Amino acid sequence: MIQDVNHPIIETHQLRRRYGRGEAAMDGLAGVDLTIRRGELVALMGPSGSGKSTLMQILGLLDRPTSGSYYLDGTDVSRLTTAEQAELRGRRLGFVFQGIYLLPRLNAIRNVELPMVYARFPASERKHRAADSLSRVGLAELANRRPNQLSGGQAQRVAIARAVAPGPDLLLADEPTGALDRASGREVLSLFQHLNDDMGLTIVVVTHDPLVGRHARRIVELEDGHVISDNIVNEAERIVADHPLEVVK
Amino acid sequence: MNAFSIALDSIWAHRLRSALTSLGIVIGVFAVVTLTSLGSGVRSYVSGQFGSFGATLITVAPALPHASSHKPRFGGGPNNNFINVPSTLTVGDATAISLAHSRDISQVAPVAVLPVTVSPTSGSSSGLAATGTTASYFRAEQLSFAAGRFTHSGAVLGSSAMHTLFPRVKDPIGRTIYVGQSPLPVTGVLNSASGLLSKAANNTIFVYVSTGLKISDLHNISEILVAASGNTQVNGAGSVITRVMKRRHPSGNFTVTKDTQILKTINNTLSTITTFLSGLAAISLLVGGIGIMNIMLVTVTERFREIGIRKALGARDSDILVQFLAESVLLSLLGGAIGVLLSALASHMIGQLAGFSAGLTLDAVALAVGFSLLVGIVFGVIPAFRAARLMPAEALRTE
Repeated sequence: MIQDVNHPIIETHQLRRRYGRGEAAMDGLAGVDLTIRRGELVALMGPSGSGKSTLMQILGLLDRPTSGSYYLDGTDVSRLTTAEQAELRGRRLGFVFQGIYLLPRLNAIRNVELPMVYARFPASERKHRAADSLSRVGLAELANRRPNQLSGGQAQRVAIARAVAPGPDLLLADEPTGALDRASGREVLSLFQHLNDDMGLTIVVVTHDPLVGRHARRIVELEDGHVISDNIVNEAERIVADHPLEVVK
Repeated sequence: MNAFSIALDSIWAHRLRSALTSLGIVIGVFAVVTLTSLGSGVRSYVSGQFGSFGATLITVAPALPHASSHKPRFGGGPNNNFINVPSTLTVGDATAISLAHSRDISQVAPVAVLPVTVSPTSGSSSGLAATGTTASYFRAEQLSFAAGRFTHSGAVLGSSAMHTLFPRVKDPIGRTIYVGQSPLPVTGVLNSASGLLSKAANNTIFVYVSTGLKISDLHNISEILVAASGNTQVNGAGSVITRVMKRRHPSGNFTVTKDTQILKTINNTLSTITTFLSGLAAISLLVGGIGIMNIMLVTVTERFREIGIRKALGARDSDILVQFLAESVLLSLLGGAIGVLLSALASHMIGQLAGFSAGLTLDAVALAVGFSLLVGIVFGVIPAFRAARLMPAEALRTE
């Protein structure tokens, strides 16, 4: 994975997102400047209503900012058409959500293939990458299961396999452990660390779970639509991914 | 995994709802196809009835009063019913037409409807009609004799008339019937006629025209029946008749009507009725289409999350549009196919019962398929657009 290190993968200036109109209007984001470089593992933290999910949706091109600019890998994405944004979502971005966001009528491997169907990958490459990706999250044997035949942790790992299968530059996760028990949650987090360490994938995780925060290399805290702190986590304070239990206890 | 297989899967996932949604289209297509098929079935049946004698008959009748500037009046005195036109046609007119010796004319028969009662005994009535004519009439109408023949002094019975007059008699030839006050011997019996227009002969007693006119004290005949020698001679025969009649009736108080014209009129009328009924049936297709739109709109709302996921994974607006459009088109095509099948069944059964073939016409099937495709697209577009235009964040927000 050869990467251009000249510009950051994410760069925002005075990003605003306003919901509603007139008196009832409120700012989801009230001017956020954020720069994320390649290979970072960043946690966006803050209480609910702080704007962290809104920020992630804008970073993921799932929503448009009311004002401000957003450069994704050097491109001003607010100028792109919806079709171009869709193309970027499919090829360059991967998403993992809270809860199960697999399509219930497709089995695991079909779900993993889906973004590559939309990105018009050739069928053979699609199948190859999907199988690869599923085995990377340790679920090669469950490829033909439907989502309702998977545990919550397994389903979330399928979702991660789906997010990384097309080879994205950026993985965006919104409360990925929110609906999981602690053991499954830790599995997901160590998977993230593995993807970040070994494959250099840039990951942005939205969470209010301190455990997730402690897996990150950088923690950005939001409150009321503003960034209130942005800290690089000291290597000594970080949980070593392979032994998370020792620190928690 | 294209749009249509996604659509099929979604239809299959909601079997009951899909079936109920399609029902509107099923009924609409069924009604349209069945009615148009029946319409064309009836039309070809009617044409067939004429076709057995090639629609070669031409009728010369007195002009209706309104044609000779007398307006018909209704409900006044006893004699103002406009069908009861005072006729000026005579047996001589018929003779003149046949004396023209046109090669286009094969038969000429004067026809006199006799205002007399017919019965096996003197003074009673059987309700049967008596007609005075010549032997040409039977050849023109292609009526065949079961027994006996037509003579100047006897009577010939239609097949039903025979049963009415002589219920338990096998061979009535030689028996006497009373036409008006005159006793006449029965000299012939006709085979039963099945043609649409020759059926009337079954209930008729035929006597020689001059005998009949004398019995009922009439001078004029009701009409002249002319048979052209073939389909292509009808127009030639018509102009010969008109020329002869114009010479004998300069006032023009007669009409010349070709069976082909009647056929055309009947066909036009049937077409109009069929179109009208199909139009009514098409309204139910419209209602069915609105039903599909309704369900699709509900489906879109219900599937916000799915749409959100697909968009997050890189689906373009057009991918979503095509997916939902495919679903509504498939639903309505499915309904259309079932409707066509049902109406094939119905047309077959009706054909069996009514005794004429009412097979599906290709037109009707093409119309139905085209129409249900149109319904699917027209009523699927709005929901599909709603789904496609959804912002992914908005779609994902609904849990």
